[in-house]
Amino acid sequence: MAATSLHREAHQARRRQQISGWLFVVPVLLLNLIVVVIPSIAGLGMAFTDWSGVGSMNFVGLANFRQLLQDQVFFKALIHNLIWTVFFLTIPVALGLLGAYLLSGIKRGQMFFRVAYFIPYVIAAVVNAQLWRFLLNPRIGIGPALAKCCGITFLDVAIFGSRDLALFGVAFVDMWHFWGFLLVLYLAAMSAVDVELYEVARLDGAGRLQQFRYVTLPSIRPTLVFTILMITIWSGLVFDYVYIITGGGPANASEVMGTYLYTSAFERFKSGYAAAVGVFMTLWVAIATGGFVLLRRLGWEI
Amino acid sequence: MKARALSVVLIVALFLLVTPIVSAQDEVVISWWTEPNSVPTNIQELFIDPWNEAHPGYRLEITEHEDLNNVLRTAITAGEAPDIIQSPGASFIAEFVNAGLVQPLDDYAAQWGWEDRLLPWAFQSGFIGGKLYSVPLTYESMILMYNRTLFEEKGWTPPTNLEEFEALAEAAVAEGIYPLIYGNVGWQPTNEHLVGIYLNNVAGPENVYKALIGEKPWTDPEFVEAMELLRTHIADKGWFSGGLENYFAIGWDDYWPTLSSGEAAMMMIGTWGFWGVGAFEETGTEWDWAPLPVFHERAGEYNYELATGSTLSINAASEHPDVAAEVIDFLLSDPDRVLDMSATQSFGEWMVPVRITPEDFPEGVDERFVRFFSDFAKVTGEGRIGYTTWTFWPAGPNVQLWEEIELVWYGELSVEDYLANHQAAWDEARAAGAVLNVPAPGVAE
Repeated sequence: MAATSLHREAHQARRRQQISGWLFVVPVLLLNLIVVVIPSIAGLGMAFTDWSGVGSMNFVGLANFRQLLQDQVFFKALIHNLIWTVFFLTIPVALGLLGAYLLSGIKRGQMFFRVAYFIPYVIAAVVNAQLWRFLLNPRIGIGPALAKCCGITFLDVAIFGSRDLALFGVAFVDMWHFWGFLLVLYLAAMSAVDVELYEVARLDGAGRLQQFRYVTLPSIRPTLVFTILMITIWSGLVFDYVYIITGGGPANASEVMGTYLYTSAFERFKSGYAAAVGVFMTLWVAIATGGFVLLRRLGWEI
Repeated sequence: MKARALSVVLIVALFLLVTPIVSAQDEVVISWWTEPNSVPTNIQELFIDPWNEAHPGYRLEITEHEDLNNVLRTAITAGEAPDIIQSPGASFIAEFVNAGLVQPLDDYAAQWGWEDRLLPWAFQSGFIGGKLYSVPLTYESMILMYNRTLFEEKGWTPPTNLEEFEALAEAAVAEGIYPLIYGNVGWQPTNEHLVGIYLNNVAGPENVYKALIGEKPWTDPEFVEAMELLRTHIADKGWFSGGLENYFAIGWDDYWPTLSSGEAAMMMIGTWGFWGVGAFEETGTEWDWAPLPVFHERAGEYNYELATGSTLSINAASEHPDVAAEVIDFLLSDPDRVLDMSATQSFGEWMVPVRITPEDFPEGVDERFVRFFSDFAKVTGEGRIGYTTWTFWPAGPNVQLWEEIELVWYGELSVEDYLANHQAAWDEARAAGAVLNVPAPGVAE
């Protein structure tokens, strides 16, 4: 009898705990429902309509998706997103790793470099973009100035106006502001690596490169993989720097899915079609995240 | 005693605090959202204060919003838009009309005689489906601005036809000068200015008019010729800013130092360009303007393209539509006030198309501004009009026009395919009933 009573009380206590736990979570869930779940479902539904953004909307089935799959500009944008991803998974990551590794060996003045590299990351995108638009202006930028004063002509080109260079020019500006963020993340991860591992490696005759390859990289793998995942996701969603600097031009040379979605919705007034582009962008994120989860399930320590 | 004194002070303070709130609550606000950076600097004393004084119990509130059109589209869908709807052009109003979000202005126009106050084409441009839905806030046209000091130095005169234009461009290039400065950084639709100029001055206004009303396909040879000539000038010859790459990397901030310093000779721009001529004072040079050269004899004598910069409508959900209409009427009622306000923007913004004469301009106004508006009135009065894409093209074909032209310039799309796509966009717009009212050339007055 006493045991049953004790058991019931324990059960009730557990229930109370569960209920109070849910009560704490409910406000956040409600918020999430209002600002994420409902708009997402509405966005998905909109992708099956011909809504212009104003007035009534008509159900058009899969018409937007059929049109999208035949849309050359969309495929151009998709390829640019892939190029962007490869660019950001290589150059800024390499720079961040190298910078963090070199900086981790510095004891005095490390904070100065950390702050210096991190500052561009905290400046608003529009400010960074305007700064570089001014610096790379074909009339008064550093290119024509170097050509005039020193005869150095390789920068004397309208980078953002060139079809061959525009995408990489914008990616460079974005990378300039972003790589310091990676550096700080990698530096924090490296500072947590057990110094004894380096000592053992040194005793085994490992040079700095080998220490980096066999001690540093495996030790910071969770951070490295996390940044790779986030870069892959962000590269699919990129919008701000492209929109501000080139608007996706010239002649769609720097068009990405984000700018194509925006112009579809707010310049061509095809909100339904833009929502279909949004569905593809969500798919991109789902594939990246799904891949990450799959690797974890397969036993990767990430 | 102290406590009582403190109480009195507190009550008085509370009363003073509450009084203006109560007073403000008694006033009905008539709201109007407008574009930033273009509002006359004297709007408060010349427009808002006099209107408020003439309408006790109401308060006119004009507020500036970045990216106005998109903000408005969201607000009007949510039922939160202001009483007065300002759009970037008549073509943007069409979808509001179709959705029943703005109300007809015919009764107000008849009541206050707006037809007699406005320039006829400007009044007509606000009609959709036989009803008046908007009146223009500002009007403009495309002109050729040039560095007069440079022209005098070189012995050049503004070109009037294709032969003179090409000869001058070659001469400028030979001197290391950009024949024309222009670029689309910050505003991609800049492309449409050039497309419109070449359509009007190569194919001719008659042909453009026929295509606008659906009597002629856009794929006809006259339009092909126009777009081929533009492609030759901008892409092959590189006469605009020295080449396509510069065109796509140069914007408004670059136009004026380049033109005023003599690095460039000319610029094909709208009359909103008057707003930037202050740069010439800094370089100690002089500017001037001329009508655009006519590139083909079929285009006739020079013309002025008709354009409304922004339009005003009344929100269908407004609780005070009659009072909102009074605001619009107040704007149209006094040409002197229009000129005084627009003068603060060098007549490039808020130039309401009311009927004015050269004598109406305030004392001391630059002769070059007066010369333009006088000649515009005379030439368009004779029916020599052209058509700007943002005033007479529905939104769909308009966007296709300025977006895909970049592919033509880069040789990725043939002119024929570009115009076939344009025709398809028009067919779609026509089927959707999005076509706008177009005045015929030769009968503007």
